[in-house]
Amino acid sequence: MKRVLFWVVVVLVAFTFVAPLAWMYLTSFKTNADIYTQDVLKLFYFSPILDNYKNLFFETVFFREILNTFIISVVSTILVMLVALPAAYSFARYETGHGHLLFVTISTRMFPAAVAAIPFFMLFKGLGMLDTRTVLILLYLYFNVSFAVFLLYGFFREIPRELEQSAMIDGYGRLDIFRKVIFPMIKPGAAITAMFCFIFSWNEFLYAFLFTRNLARTITIGLASFWASGQIDWGTMGACVCLAILPTLAAAWFMQRYIIRGLTFGAVKG
Amino acid sequence: MSDHGNGVMAQPLSEVHQMTDGMPRVPERTFFDILGDDKYYKWILLIPLLLVLLIFMLYPLFYCIWYSLHEFGMVKAATFLGLENYRDVLRDEEFWLALKRTGIVLVISIGAELVIGMGVAVLFNRDFKGQNPIRGLILLPLLMAPLAVSMMWNFFLQYDFGIVNLILGIVGISKVSWFAPGVGLYTIAAISIWQWAPFSIFVLLAGLKGLPRDSFEAARVDGATPWYTFRRLTLPNLTPLIMIIVLLRTMWLIRLFDPLYGTTRGGADTELLDWMIYRNTFVYFDIGIGSTLAIISLFLTMIVCGVLFTQLMKALAVTSE
Repeated sequence: MKRVLFWVVVVLVAFTFVAPLAWMYLTSFKTNADIYTQDVLKLFYFSPILDNYKNLFFETVFFREILNTFIISVVSTILVMLVALPAAYSFARYETGHGHLLFVTISTRMFPAAVAAIPFFMLFKGLGMLDTRTVLILLYLYFNVSFAVFLLYGFFREIPRELEQSAMIDGYGRLDIFRKVIFPMIKPGAAITAMFCFIFSWNEFLYAFLFTRNLARTITIGLASFWASGQIDWGTMGACVCLAILPTLAAAWFMQRYIIRGLTFGAVKG
Repeated sequence: MSDHGNGVMAQPLSEVHQMTDGMPRVPERTFFDILGDDKYYKWILLIPLLLVLLIFMLYPLFYCIWYSLHEFGMVKAATFLGLENYRDVLRDEEFWLALKRTGIVLVISIGAELVIGMGVAVLFNRDFKGQNPIRGLILLPLLMAPLAVSMMWNFFLQYDFGIVNLILGIVGISKVSWFAPGVGLYTIAAISIWQWAPFSIFVLLAGLKGLPRDSFEAARVDGATPWYTFRRLTLPNLTPLIMIIVLLRTMWLIRLFDPLYGTTRGGADTELLDWMIYRNTFVYFDIGIGSTLAIISLFLTMIVCGVLFTQLMKALAVTSE
C-alpha cells in the first residue's frame, strides 16, 4: 500500500513537469481548428499536420534567428572561456587578491541587467552599433564571465596540486604544464562551464530585446514577436517554442549530473 | 569554499618553484622569465578578466549613477538635478506598488519552491527503480528559456481555449481569467515556481544524500518520531542549502522580466521593478528616472544579498562545527 502511494506521488510529480512540455509538442502538430476546439476527445484524436513548421520555416525569419543565436552564443562562449580559464586558474592556484577579487567578480552577477543596459544602450547607439551581433557577443561575454570564473574556480581546485609540482620538478615550463598537465584534467569541467554559458546566451532575452531589431535578432526575440502581433498564430508559435527549447532540453538531459552544480555556482555538488 | 586551505598550500609550491626553476638560471633571466615569476604570472593571467570587469562593471555603474543625477531624455542635453530624481521616484506611488509586487512574487515563489522542494526531495531520497530517467525528466524545465516557458503557459492559460480552463470545465469549475488584475501576479509567480521548483528539489536532495547516517541511526534507535527527526536533525543540517536557494532565487527574482513580457507585459497590475525600469527608459525615454530606478534596484539587491550572504556564512559556520 505504501509502495503504491509512493509511486502515485512520483508519477504525479514527473507528470507535472513533463506533461506541459509534451502538450506543447502535440500542439505544434495541430491545425488551428484543433487548437481552438472545446471537444475533449478531439484534443487527443486529431490528424497531425506539419503546416505550423512549414509556416515557421518559410513565412518567418526563423533560420536567420537560429543562425544569429548560434553564432552569438558560440563566439561569446569562446571569448568567455578565453578570459575565464586563466583567471580561474590564477584564483585557484595563487589565491590572487585573497578572495576579495573573486568576490568582486561574482558580485557582478548581482547587478540588475538594467544597470548595464542603459549606459551601454546609449554607448552603442552613439557608435551606431545597435542591431549587430557584436553588441550581443560583448554583452553576453560580460554577463557570463563571472559565472564561468566561479564555476571553473571550483573545478580547478579539485585538481591535486602535487601533479603540477612534480611536473615542475621534471622541468616542464609553464605553458607545458598548462597544456599537458592541467588542461587534460580541467577538460570535463571546462566543457560543462562552456555548455552553461552557451545555454545562458541562447536563452537570454532582455539584452537581445533592447539591443537588436531585425538583422541580429535572436530566437527569443523571434518567439516574442508572435506575442506582439494582434492576431496570434498559436500553432506557429508553438512550433517555434518547441524548436527553440530543443537544445536546452537536450542539454538538461545530458548534463543531469552537473545542472545543480552549475546553477549554484559550484556551491552544491548535486 | 574556504579560502584558508589554499593559502597554506601555496607556500610549499613557491618554494619548490624557486629551488628548481629560478635558482640555477639566475644569471640568464630574460624578460619573460621575470614575467614567469609567480608574483607576476598570477596577475598576468588575470589581465583579461580585470579588463572585462573594468569595462563592463565600472563604466555602466559610473554612467548609470551620472544619468540618475540628471534630467535626460536621449535628445536634448542633460541638465543636472542632483538627487531630485531619487526624491521623485521615492514619492512615486507606482514605484512602491512595483516594489510591493516584487516582494509578493519573491515570498510566494521562494516559499512554494522550498515547500515543494523539501517534500519531493524527502520522497526521492531513496533508491527506486527508474530513478535516473525520472530525475532527468524533472530537470527538463530548468534550462529552458524563461521567455519560452512563459509563452507556453500563456498559451495553456488562455481564457477561451486554454487547456487549463478546459480541464477545469471538465471537473466542473468555471473558467478562470488567469491574467486579470489581481490574478495575473500570482499566475506569473506560479509559472516561475513551475520552472524553478526542480532547482530546490535537487539542491535539497543533494543535501539529504550528504547527511551523516549514524546520527539518524541513533535517533531511530532512541525512538524519535520521523517528524521530530526531521525538525531537529534534518532541517538544521540543511539550513545552508536552504540559504543558498533563497539567496540565488532572490537574486534572480528581483529582476524578473521575461515572464512579464511573455504574458501580461506589465499590464493588469503586474508591473514589477525591472519592468518599470524598462518602461521608463525604453518606452518613455526618460533615462534619468530609468537610471535612478536601476540604481535603487542595485542597492536593494546588494542589501538583500548582503544580509542573506552573511546568514549563509553563519549557517555554514554552525554546521561545520
